[in-house]
Amino acid sequence: MTATRDVIAVPDSTAPALSLLRELRRDHGRKQAASAAYWVYLVAFLVLVYGGSAIAAAVRALRHPPAATAQTPHVLQAAPAALAALALIVLVVLLRDALWRGPVTLPQATVDWLLGTPVDRGVLLRPGFRRSAALAVLAGAAVGIVPAAALVALGLGASGAGGAGGGHGTSDVLRLTGASMLSTALLFACATGVAGLIERYPASWSWLRRATPAALAVAAALAGLAAWAMLGRPPAVLTDIALWSGPWGWAGQATMAAVRGAAPLWPLAIGMLGVLALAALAWAYRAAAGVPGPALRARAATLGAMSAAVLNLDTRSVATAYTAAGPSRRARFRLRPPRHRQLVLFWRDLLALGRAPSRLVGAVALALLAVGLVAVARRGGHDPLVPVACAMALGYLAAAWLCEGARLDADDTRRSVHLPFRFASLAWWHAAVPSLVLLVVAGGPAAALCLAAGDPRLLALLVTVPVLVGGAMVNVFRGQYPPDLFSGVDTPLGNTAAVRIIFWYGWGPILAVAPTAVLVSSAIGSPDPGALVRAAVIGAALAAALGAYAAHRAGRLRAG
Amino acid sequence: MPPASVPPLLSLTGVSRNFGERLALCPIDVELAAAQCVAVLGANGSGKSTLLRIAAGRDTPTTGQVTYDGRPLAEDDLVVRTEIAVVGDMVSAYPDLTAREHLQLVAVAHGAGGRAEALVDKALGECRLGDHGGALPGSLSSGQLQALHLAAVLVRPRRLLVLDEPEQRLDPAARRWLAGLLRAEKEAGAAVLLATHHAELAESVADQVVVLSDGAVIARGTPAVALAAIR
Repeated sequence: MTATRDVIAVPDSTAPALSLLRELRRDHGRKQAASAAYWVYLVAFLVLVYGGSAIAAAVRALRHPPAATAQTPHVLQAAPAALAALALIVLVVLLRDALWRGPVTLPQATVDWLLGTPVDRGVLLRPGFRRSAALAVLAGAAVGIVPAAALVALGLGASGAGGAGGGHGTSDVLRLTGASMLSTALLFACATGVAGLIERYPASWSWLRRATPAALAVAAALAGLAAWAMLGRPPAVLTDIALWSGPWGWAGQATMAAVRGAAPLWPLAIGMLGVLALAALAWAYRAAAGVPGPALRARAATLGAMSAAVLNLDTRSVATAYTAAGPSRRARFRLRPPRHRQLVLFWRDLLALGRAPSRLVGAVALALLAVGLVAVARRGGHDPLVPVACAMALGYLAAAWLCEGARLDADDTRRSVHLPFRFASLAWWHAAVPSLVLLVVAGGPAAALCLAAGDPRLLALLVTVPVLVGGAMVNVFRGQYPPDLFSGVDTPLGNTAAVRIIFWYGWGPILAVAPTAVLVSSAIGSPDPGALVRAAVIGAALAAALGAYAAHRAGRLRAG
Repeated sequence: MPPASVPPLLSLTGVSRNFGERLALCPIDVELAAAQCVAVLGANGSGKSTLLRIAAGRDTPTTGQVTYDGRPLAEDDLVVRTEIAVVGDMVSAYPDLTAREHLQLVAVAHGAGGRAEALVDKALGECRLGDHGGALPGSLSSGQLQALHLAAVLVRPRRLLVLDEPEQRLDPAARRWLAGLLRAEKEAGAAVLLATHHAELAESVADQVVVLSDGAVIARGTPAVALAAIR
């Protein structure tokens, strides 16, 4: 074991090295097993205590599934495309997992101490892949309960729900649930296998990144088809295309057959999905040994950073670790710096948006969706509060996405020391760009709808923009997660930890979404023309209050 | 550069590296033979670590070729993992294993078998960690952790050492010890590729010095020639 100029024989050291590692880490393994058992116990306990009523409802639904309603035939028509859209989105998410985490992973210490040795990579890496595949199948089966439950709740659980109704409720629900669980388990298995291959072959990474928008566009088209099927009657061939368009369509066929038997070739579809899953898993299992060292190093580093962030419940650090795992980006978007100091943060925030256009596109899409939802709610004639609240939640998300510049300053208060502004005032300065973008994005369609309908009440939407941005700023400047929140305070009604954690994360959206939902729903639901003016005045006051509160939080962040 | 009669063990030909559109390393040629040391000097961000990662097979050059003992270099190659010892990008340790156990693991993974104990004792002593063999990584200072990483090189066979700033976090006495260690490695026949900020270290162990600035070679030659060019 010395330095030498001669060729060194490759030792057969895999078995002794891994056996030594197991022996040295036996205590650690026991502690990990105990910790895992504790978490299983905790989750089971929480499910039983807090989910008791949901479980009872599920058992009731199993015995007596909700009867079909007038909407049930529409749901039945929409379900194939909707299930295919959901399956495609799940597939994309699982495949993209290979870009930053992947089914083949090693702990950082093992990467640092064993990866550079002659230990057989196959023996080192394949157990991790087996674990990932097993977990994926279990997770897939569990996720499969969700669409089954949704279909049962929508009246498709009873035999012949699409038509006659009645029949063997329990067995129908069980058959539906089993079909759905099997399909999603196979879909997850298939995705894990393909993700393993993607991780193994780096040339596929850029391909996957480029294909993602196209896949999401297909998912959006499938969702559109589902919406069309809910409202009208699209040609049956389109539904067939959705069901046979790929593994995402095959995955829905057994479920569809279980609710109405209108997917006659479902055994073929599930068989194809099963064969594909098995082939992908087998190929990926063989290929796992060849996952390149740099890929394993990068994934171990990302996982380490992300695990630390998750343990600290620090969602921002989780997002930062995820972003850092992506390809390095070049600052292509340029903007001439302003001459006036008052415009410098405006310029800085425009740069942040221009250099992350996906944020801008996502925010615009959410804002347009929110406007559409409010427009539909206004025409609906029912109490618009719930759809308007949903629209405000989407609007809040759009505002939060546009606040990246503020978030970067809040992440590390030292970043802004060279700026000629008090830190507390940054909350106000950073609000300008998100507000303007949302005013333009939401204002155009809202104005067009007002003109088309000859009704100005939709302009109430514009009032909500500064309020939603203010709420986003309140959240941006919340600071690091305080560990003492975990302990909470014991009260006669129980420990406050859970409530405090929810409020710590959700204080901004709660303060912004709840009042704007009430404000807009009352404005668009009232025939009184003065309601719009009232909404404007109240909205302005709310925005000012939230801005001041965000500034106060920012000041505390700097001081603390 | 190695004398014409000595075939290079490591050969980098026209190697460059781009990160996106940024050129981190301009095309460079480096050859390194057994019992030779090439030191790479340069400021932070000059491309030293990029060059060493490529030389260790842990990164792929944008252009050019890297060969080790006449074969294309790749970290995943079993021979490369057996013969090339790398220090520089170890960032973590098993929190529940002692310094001694880390070294045992490396020794056994390189086929030391029953000789592992003796090798570990010797390496701990050489790296002045004799009193810290039973310490967990969390209780070691950063300098001691760096010494542990260097000790991990000594418990395994090696033909080529790729060391990225091995002197970092070491005190002056430990740096002198490091210089002696590298000279001994050369004398035993190993090739050494060393990136360092310390001109004295390069001067005392290197046969050739390459000076990088913004990814480009601005001086190269014997230590006397290359260092004179930048002083």
